[in-house]
Amino acid sequence: MAPPDAPEETVDPRDDLAPEVRHAELKAATLLVLLAAIVAGFVLYVLYARGAFESVQKLVLMADDGAGVTVGMDLTFSGFPVGRVQRIELAAEGKARIEIDVAKKDAKWLRASSVFTLERSLVGGARLRAFTGNLEDKPLPDGAVRQVLRGDATEELPGLIATMKRLLENLDRMTSTDSNLSASIANVRALTDRMTGPQGALGGLLGSEENAKKAVLALDRANALLASLDGLAARMDRALARADEKLFGDQGVVEEGRKVAVQLNAVLADVRESLKKADAVLADAQKIGANTKAATEDLASLRAEVEASLRRVSLLIDDINRRWPFGRDTEVKLP
Amino acid sequence: MQAIPSRRALGGLGIRLLESGRGAWRGLRFAGDALVAALSPSTYTAAVRGAAARQLCVSAWQVLPGVVAFCALLGYVVIRIVSSTAHEYGLSAYAVDVFVRVLVLELIPLFVALFVALRSGAALGTEVALMRVSRENPVRTGARALRAELLPRGIGNAVAVLCLTAVGAVVALAVAYVGLYGFSPWGHDAYSRAIGQVFEPLLLAGFALKVSLFALAVGAIPVAAGLAAARDWPGVPQAAPRGLVRLFVVLALVEAVSLAARYV
Repeated sequence: MAPPDAPEETVDPRDDLAPEVRHAELKAATLLVLLAAIVAGFVLYVLYARGAFESVQKLVLMADDGAGVTVGMDLTFSGFPVGRVQRIELAAEGKARIEIDVAKKDAKWLRASSVFTLERSLVGGARLRAFTGNLEDKPLPDGAVRQVLRGDATEELPGLIATMKRLLENLDRMTSTDSNLSASIANVRALTDRMTGPQGALGGLLGSEENAKKAVLALDRANALLASLDGLAARMDRALARADEKLFGDQGVVEEGRKVAVQLNAVLADVRESLKKADAVLADAQKIGANTKAATEDLASLRAEVEASLRRVSLLIDDINRRWPFGRDTEVKLP
Repeated sequence: MQAIPSRRALGGLGIRLLESGRGAWRGLRFAGDALVAALSPSTYTAAVRGAAARQLCVSAWQVLPGVVAFCALLGYVVIRIVSSTAHEYGLSAYAVDVFVRVLVLELIPLFVALFVALRSGAALGTEVALMRVSRENPVRTGARALRAELLPRGIGNAVAVLCLTAVGAVVALAVAYVGLYGFSPWGHDAYSRAIGQVFEPLLLAGFALKVSLFALAVGAIPVAAGLAAARDWPGVPQAAPRGLVRLFVVLALVEAVSLAARYV
């Protein structure tokens, strides 16, 4: 054992164990500074990466089930992270209360009418997504509480499996030997067997050979009927051609009518001329009437003059008669 | 006839277990003493500082380029594998997460600890054992020997583990960014966000604690194994392997406890 009071300065590590290195202390100091810089820088970088230096606003999402939501997970908008889950707790009403820090610079994407969904896929973790239909809406207020809509693919699995099970059971029932489908297929087989018989598909469809023969006979009759109808149609064509000739030929009704119309048109032109003349005559008559009216106005004075003349003539005659020797005495002499 | 060898075998096993227990106890006690001494400012005399600096240069400075190149290569290979696989399964968002959790948090610290232990720790353990044998009446034992000769070497190795782990992790993260986004600066936001999501405060503290325990183990266990070696020449060759085995066990335990605390 070494004496307890042995002086420490007698110990020189360089003599024994530590290897010689040039500028050892400088290099060691460099390494220590590098270590300190890396540690400090990395801590600062992690703080920055976790949003410690960002100005944020709170958003609270209420979910019926918070499974899959973890602290630190992102809230994305159009695939870009805009917020980060800071805290998850069970609220008083029994719902999951998810507190999210939304960076102020990204808060513009969230509006009062934004919708938030929590989606769980079969592969990968849950995803919190925000949808904003109207970016002109009011901004989402700080501390807003919103309900989360759920879009869970795994929750559909039990229902999907139950439906699949029912579907498989139905399929199993359908494909069993005594099922309707099997009976239908047997019928189809019988039908196809008949269709491959002498009467072919017609025999298969009509059920018996006799019916098939009747059908063939009916077809023959129908063919004969069609042939007679064909002759009738030819006759109808000829009749129509004749009627066409009568109507639209050179001596047809239409041509004659056209000529009559031309003549009528000429007559009407004459009538129009006559009417114009009558119109002129009427105009003249109107003028004559006007003149007659003026003449009628002078007739009274003329009559007065005539009457005066007649009276003078009468007086003259009377005078002559009186003067005439053979004149009679018109006076009646009373006794 | 069969009972005697069995009893002897059991006795030998008990002796070996007892020896192992003693060795572990000595190692723990030495590690505690070394930790206390390393955290005491009065320890860092000029001589101790010089010896620690030289050991740090040997353990870290000389191998720094190699470690950087190895971490860069390993990081690039792993991120390409992880990102292409994740992309095929539509899980590209988790590529950085997986890369950081596997390579940066687990493999690089373990690799660096083993590398320093094999390169410097084994040599140190052998030197300590040789020192004990070559001196008939060693005066440098106990607290003074710890402070004067062994502690600077242990501190140098421990700090080398811290330095190389930090440098290797940063190089791997930088290479992962290049592997994912090339030299484009536009992946920075997404990458930072992924890094921020992985390095939660508790995980970061656990990572720091794990690397510190690795460093303490690498710094203390080889020396403790050398001190525990027999004071004769045949015991010298066994000192380094024993120390390395103990070190591997301790590193595995620390790693297992770290993983269990994080994921179980």
